Amino acid sequence: MIRLLRAEALKLRTIWSTWAILIITMVLTGGLGVLVGFAPHRHDVEALLFPARGTSSWFDLVFSTMTVSVDLALILGVICVTGEYRHKTVTPTLLCEPKRGRMVAAKLLSSAGGGVVVGVAGGLTGLVLGIGLVAGGFGDTGRMLTEYRHVFPGVLAACVLYGIYGLGLGALLKNQVVALVVGLGVIAVVEPIVEGVVPSVGRWLPGQAAEALESVAVSASRRGGGGIFSSTAHLITWWEGALVLLAYGVVLAVAGTFTTLRADVT
Amino acid sequence: MITGTNFSDFAGERRRTSAVGTAPSVEVRGLTKHFGSVVAVDDLTFSVEPGMVTGFLGPNGAGKTTTLRMLLGLVSPTSGRALVNGVAYRDLPDPTRTVGAVLEASGFHPARTARNHLRTIAAVAGIDFARVDEVLELVGLGADAGRTVGKFSLGMRQRLELARALLGDPEVLVLDEPANGLDPQGIAWIRGFLRWFASSGMVVLVSSHLLAEAAQTVDDVVILANGHLMGHGPLQQLLQGTAATVAVRVRTPDAQRLISVLQATRPEAGRARLEGPDTVVAEGTTPEEIGPIMAESRIVVYEMTSTGESLEQLFFQMTEGGQMGGHPIGQPWGSVGAQGYASAPPPEEGSS
Repeated sequence: MIRLLRAEALKLRTIWSTWAILIITMVLTGGLGVLVGFAPHRHDVEALLFPARGTSSWFDLVFSTMTVSVDLALILGVICVTGEYRHKTVTPTLLCEPKRGRMVAAKLLSSAGGGVVVGVAGGLTGLVLGIGLVAGGFGDTGRMLTEYRHVFPGVLAACVLYGIYGLGLGALLKNQVVALVVGLGVIAVVEPIVEGVVPSVGRWLPGQAAEALESVAVSASRRGGGGIFSSTAHLITWWEGALVLLAYGVVLAVAGTFTTLRADVT
Repeated sequence: MITGTNFSDFAGERRRTSAVGTAPSVEVRGLTKHFGSVVAVDDLTFSVEPGMVTGFLGPNGAGKTTTLRMLLGLVSPTSGRALVNGVAYRDLPDPTRTVGAVLEASGFHPARTARNHLRTIAAVAGIDFARVDEVLELVGLGADAGRTVGKFSLGMRQRLELARALLGDPEVLVLDEPANGLDPQGIAWIRGFLRWFASSGMVVLVSSHLLAEAAQTVDDVVILANGHLMGHGPLQQLLQGTAATVAVRVRTPDAQRLISVLQATRPEAGRARLEGPDTVVAEGTTPEEIGPIMAESRIVVYEMTSTGESLEQLFFQMTEGGQMGGHPIGQPWGSVGAQGYASAPPPEEGSS
């Protein structure tokens, strides 16, 4: 298994998509952070919504942009398996590891690893941004680091679990475009609708589950809402979020192993 | 350019230390594959002997690729078994070191370099990365190791496939149409390589629809048409059992004299006829047989070639029988056969 993992890591390292995902993660995190932190307030309402610069809430808002890493970890997980079918490298892959369950297990672990890398990339960008803001005279180091510590672990954990979830989606759907559309579509389109109509179901969906995981910071910082962060009361607990995300990934991957991946490779 | 010719230099450590215990084997028993209502392979049974090159022949759509993919665990048989060294491919303890496979539709990530492509496979099998450069050198891609595969020509990709197959220094080579996309030099090289590989006691199963090409490489043949086994055995033996004749084309300034010499020395075997002013076609013989006769009669020879027509005749005779079993592709049989034939190189190209 260690050899398989080494090979999977090498595969991810040697395609440009991985590096593109890391760069996009950093650019989005940094860019959005600056944008959100310094958005001009034209109306009183906005001024109420956006916390004053340098406050804990403001840092929390700026660091919340690290959560874009989560979606990119999902994309990496999807590519990890669907890329093999897209470029037909699945044939040599299965020739050297003909046991398909083992192949999927290795990819599941390497996608989780990919999630760590993406999460760390986003996290480091956030940290650099935070240091830059403090150096620029916005807030003090202690407050910045406190908020950073609140946001980062949740984001990192969500990245790992989304990597696994993406792998599961890819293993089941096999087609790269379909898997990406379904994966991101569920989060961006389906979930808000379900959330609006049946919130009791919606909060168990992947996007909300990730939010529950990421919101550890919010509840832990004893602010319980306010500012742009609405109440997190509607969310499941962070560990429920973690478990449900892990379940999505593993169930989909196992289903994929027994359906699509068992199919003939021609 | 493929340059390496001293193949033994490139054999891996294991081969040199000769750690191979029992002789490698490939065996197919009652192998059947249905794709929906189409029977791609029907109750196929044959075994491949080590120490020789076995040709897996049949027209396009005969079921060759499906059979090979079942052998490699990529396609699940509807029934029957395909075994390598007595076990299913999926149960091989070390597949990369046991079987090397060259497959047509095998893929490469276009943005990955040739070296990294092979490294991803070497990593799984625990093969030293130094071996990657060794096999790339062997197939003549040493200078292109750092280039991305997306920029490779068809022939270069085919050579990279071969390099991948050889990475684990396997005992069994399975090749699906390896000549595709290769230049004549590459084809000659692969022919030599397969002969060398088989001669060291290994198993070589090579599919082809190019009959004239295959005739020059293979010892044994397995002939497939419409998913049915049409013939299996040593090529020479199969040829004797049919009306197909071996023929040799000789270019000589003494054409008329050669004909009379041949008629005098071998009246029983076939006939010799004049094809052009200086070309004689002698049927029912081989270069090995008439070479000494011509030397003895002091006949000047400019050129002598095996025509390879014999195998094609054998092939058509055998595959025509398959017509009665019904053609699954829904195409007239003749058109499929003609396709395979038309793309074969003209017999003149083959040299003995």
